[in-house]
Amino acid sequence: MIPKDSATESTPGSDDANGLAEVYGFLALCMRYPDPAFLDQEFLVTFQDLLHSLDRDSQARELGTWLQQDNNPLETLQIEYTRLFINAIPHVIAPPYGSIYVGGAGSLQGKLTEETRDFYRQCGFDLADETEPADHIMHELEFLAQLAREGRLEKTEEFLRRLFRPWFEQFYQRVHNEAGHPFYKVSVDLIDFFTKEEP
Amino acid sequence: MAINLTRRNFLKTASLAAASVPLSKVVAKAETGVVKTPLIPPGSFKDTKTAVGGICEMCFWRCQLVGKVRDGRLVKLEGNPKSIDNGTAICARGNAGIKLLYDPDRLKYPLKNVGKRGAPKWKRISWEEALNECASKLKGIVDKYGPHGLAMFPHGASAKYPMHFFEKTVGTPNVSEASFFQCRGIRDTAYVATIGTAPGENVDMPNAKVIMLLGGHFGENVHVSHLKRYLKGLENGAKLIVVDPRFSASAGKADIWVKIKPGTDTAFLLAIMNYLIQNDKYDKKFVEEHGEGFETMAEGISEWTLEKAAAICDVPASQIKEVADLLAANAPNVSIHPGRHVSWYGNDFQRERSLACLTGVLGAYGVKGGFVKPKGPKGFGKVSWPHGEHEGENLKEIAGKYPFAPPGTPTELIRDAALSGDPYPIKGCVIWGQNPIQTIPNQQRTIRMLKQMDFVMCVDVMPTDITMFADILLPECSYLERYDYIKKGTQWNFADKHQQYVSARMPLVDPGFERKDGVWITNEIARRMGYGDKIPVQSQEEMVDKILAGAGLSIAKLKAEDGIHIQPGKDPYGISEDFTVNFANEDLEDEGFPAIPTYIPVEEPPAGYMRLLYGRAPVHTFNRTQNNVWLHAAMPENPVWVNDKVAKRLGLRDGDRVSFVNQDGVKSRTTTTVKVTPGIREDAVYMYHGFGSMNPELTVGYNQGVDDQSLITKLAVDPETGCSGMRNNFVRLVKAS
Ligand code: SF4
Repeated sequence: MIPKDSATESTPGSDDANGLAEVYGFLALCMRYPDPAFLDQEFLVTFQDLLHSLDRDSQARELGTWLQQDNNPLETLQIEYTRLFINAIPHVIAPPYGSIYVGGAGSLQGKLTEETRDFYRQCGFDLADETEPADHIMHELEFLAQLAREGRLEKTEEFLRRLFRPWFEQFYQRVHNEAGHPFYKVSVDLIDFFTKEEP
Repeated sequence: MAINLTRRNFLKTASLAAASVPLSKVVAKAETGVVKTPLIPPGSFKDTKTAVGGICEMCFWRCQLVGKVRDGRLVKLEGNPKSIDNGTAICARGNAGIKLLYDPDRLKYPLKNVGKRGAPKWKRISWEEALNECASKLKGIVDKYGPHGLAMFPHGASAKYPMHFFEKTVGTPNVSEASFFQCRGIRDTAYVATIGTAPGENVDMPNAKVIMLLGGHFGENVHVSHLKRYLKGLENGAKLIVVDPRFSASAGKADIWVKIKPGTDTAFLLAIMNYLIQNDKYDKKFVEEHGEGFETMAEGISEWTLEKAAAICDVPASQIKEVADLLAANAPNVSIHPGRHVSWYGNDFQRERSLACLTGVLGAYGVKGGFVKPKGPKGFGKVSWPHGEHEGENLKEIAGKYPFAPPGTPTELIRDAALSGDPYPIKGCVIWGQNPIQTIPNQQRTIRMLKQMDFVMCVDVMPTDITMFADILLPECSYLERYDYIKKGTQWNFADKHQQYVSARMPLVDPGFERKDGVWITNEIARRMGYGDKIPVQSQEEMVDKILAGAGLSIAKLKAEDGIHIQPGKDPYGISEDFTVNFANEDLEDEGFPAIPTYIPVEEPPAGYMRLLYGRAPVHTFNRTQNNVWLHAAMPENPVWVNDKVAKRLGLRDGDRVSFVNQDGVKSRTTTTVKVTPGIREDAVYMYHGFGSMNPELTVGYNQGVDDQSLITKLAVDPETGCSGMRNNFVRLVKAS
């Protein structure tokens, strides 16, 4: 594993690229299974700060209210994450894998998965392990963070356009419409905001 | 292209930096899953490699496979060209294994049910937590109730290792395998009682002059090398007799189709034997040399005239005679097929005994075209859990029932004990690869049994119906991601050069997510339950290597031989001098059962109802494949076959949708289409088994077609074996508005 600092140092990006890298890195964690190793009080406070800084005060308040009322927020998120993305009755809301949505395969490890991993590799990156496929949204955001950290914003745009947005939009709709919890609703809203192509 | 303005504006503002905790600090707490690597030239991962050693388990025939793998992804499955069993051929289901492997609904992580049994709310947990919980709960039950406080329902090759752990080392006698108690166990023990060995499907069809199938519907029932044998026989000119209430795919190829009344097959077989004996058309020499109790049987079945059977079986006497004469004229080169899924009416032990005896009457053991066991490779090592101290209190013995049961305990006895607490409570349940909701009659009782448990643990690859009742649900590697089964045998046609083969299931790809193999899962639980010193092997690879070592082989050697080891074989024909056919069996008599094959009538359908028959579909393996996208596309539901005259009376037309009500008033949850045909008797309807899953987590198979098992509420337990007969339920059709 390459330490983040050295990557930043070797190819310093602009301020906005650095900022974007941190935002993508943060959003990647929102899409990772909630683990106390990172998803702690500090994380949730930062989340609210981020929302305030985006003038999303009502969403920040929504998170705040939940935190006050829930005496086991971590478990709540774990259950909701499982329901939305892993296994659920009646069914998973939105499997977080691109190849489910595009390419017609409807299954994991489709053509899109291969294209996504190829893209990582051609940019000099790869998966650290094989637990989750390359087109898991968390990996895609991690990859975007890495690119941004190196200041390669054109590449992030290309990736978003070619491989991310085509499936994310369907994924986003499902989560947005059916998430029972503000955390994930807000998370996908932010991902949408930071990956959307605007004229 | 630049970042869009909104985003850029935001990033340019100082507000982000002004946050109390910088994002970078939070982000740094977790390692990224995408890391910097040396630059790789495009296209260098594109070589497709062939992975050898695959063994299919889309059904339990277990054909030999190779996988085309690109960059860790399985892109295609093919038959292993080195195979002398299935060869390069695999069936539609075999091909569709890839869709199981990458099914998004598949289990990926250990799950804990934080909701209710049957209405689960899942939470992903770590393996550590899952294993600790399983072990402490199971151990708690053993400590409180004794090992018989546990029940286990295993199925498939990977369930064998954990089954032996719970059965032998922990010591629960309450183990019930669907493959025995709801499928072929009756066949095995009936043949054991008759010829001393389980028959498999070992009839030499390629070299037979006549093949007789009783209920066998090959072509709809697809097992590659089995079909090859059958088709080769037909190609070589064998005459085909098919006994079936339905015009099945095999009936369509038959020289004689006996449209028999369901449940009466034994009467039919007894009449054939009696006719052959009365008319001196049986193999006297064989019977003299190898028969035991022949006179007793001959006398005991002498009442079975063609006319008597004809009346009972509802077929012309002349047709029974025609069948008998055709068999006699071609004896001993006749294949009387023992069947495979044979738990039908609760009188099945007698039918299977009759088939074995008829084979003897015709002298068709060990001869070309007859019943011939292949001489396969020998010398394999054994891996087994050690027996614990505990004396097994088997429910069969306590009840004094089912002395001819296959290994394990009849499912019904376990369920009864669990529900009544008598003779002992059963409070923990381990379900491994089996879906008792769709294999055992009377779903409501099964659900009640599960609900009264203190703890239920399931291990599976898919969220099947039963998994809804788990407290802890563990994700297992599929057959394409693990080592286990040793597949061995001979060339499929005994007329070809005699060869033997040995192969072992090897993974074609790595397991994704956090799926684990059964050896690992079992060992981890065993260790935590305090049986760490009893663990026989440390890994799945070690298990397979130990078994192979006995035959001078290893995983590495098999890999070097493209997954299959081939060695010279032996001529399988001939029987030993002491081979015996027990036409009458005193052991049976001692236990209070008829010594000779005996026809036991089954219940008739009540007025307005028809008998519900079910069978296999060519592109599905019962309920195991219902969520497979390709197979679902090929056959999305299970139309119900209704006789044309009946349909007319009921005002049903081909393509109408119907639901069902059975004799107990149980209604089907879903509907299906009607297939109107003269190809089924008026007193029965027929459908493919394994549709209409109740678990919505199966996004493809949920509620597609009708779950015939839900309509099988009345039990017909075979008295000798305790196996569940599942064709004694009756339905009426209700046209869906
Ligand atoms: S018959 Fe088909 S499903 Fe069964 S093992 Fe062979 S290829 Fe697989």
